[in-house]
Amino acid sequence: MNDLDDERAQRGAGDHVVRHFLIDRLFHWLTAISVFILLFTAFLPILGVKFSWVTPHWVSGLVLAGLIFCHIVRSSFWQDLRSMWFGLTDIKETMATLGWLFRLKSGALGRTGKYSPAQKLMHHGVSLFVLITIATGLLMMVKIDTPLWDRDPYWLSDESWGTVYVLHGAAALFIMSVVMIHIYFSLRPEKRMYLRSMLLGWLSRAEYVNQHDPERWRN
Amino acid sequence: MEVFRYTTNAWGQSVLEGMSWDLLGVFFAAGCAFIVAHALYMWFFSPEK
Repeated sequence: MNDLDDERAQRGAGDHVVRHFLIDRLFHWLTAISVFILLFTAFLPILGVKFSWVTPHWVSGLVLAGLIFCHIVRSSFWQDLRSMWFGLTDIKETMATLGWLFRLKSGALGRTGKYSPAQKLMHHGVSLFVLITIATGLLMMVKIDTPLWDRDPYWLSDESWGTVYVLHGAAALFIMSVVMIHIYFSLRPEKRMYLRSMLLGWLSRAEYVNQHDPERWRN
Repeated sequence: MEVFRYTTNAWGQSVLEGMSWDLLGVFFAAGCAFIVAHALYMWFFSPEK
């Protein structure tokens, strides 16, 4: 440990920095539960596990849509959207990280804001695919009977329904892969502090100072 | 391997039905391949932070 690391560790001793408030952690885990229900009710029947999947699928889809709506409202009015903005600095940091990873550059990596470029890209990728599944899923609900309306399979042409199904299915497949990778990274030793912060809400002061630039940290 | 599924409508026309579910295994395998490749790379070649 060099002098700078030693000084950072001493500054962080016995202190916590809040990374995720309880409401944000609840949002994350409720979203995770609804996404898992959606993935299992979508893909298990395809793999031959037969059960009545339609109702839990669309109910979970509506729950997910509601959660995403609440998240958009909260992040727009109660949080700083700039914490998730992927800009030129993030591109430079991504290039630096790749250079470090593939040993093309030596030296320590710089500190990021609240979220690293990789975390931002993960968020934006998941957001894109989830929004596609929600938009197409809401359209597809026209074709099922619910307590609120009777099905109308002729609302769109066959070709249009085909496009809707392709978008819904493709986005769901990407979500499955991205969720696998997301879980993998959350369990890696060097990233486990972020899993803990999503469970308990905090980073230690040392983790905060070592990994993040307080000047760029925005809630 | 097919990318899309097609069905036949009431007029005998072939219409798009959705993504081929052959791709389920492809996307699952791609996720696994990334995880294994990254884990192995980090295990054997990761530079010290």
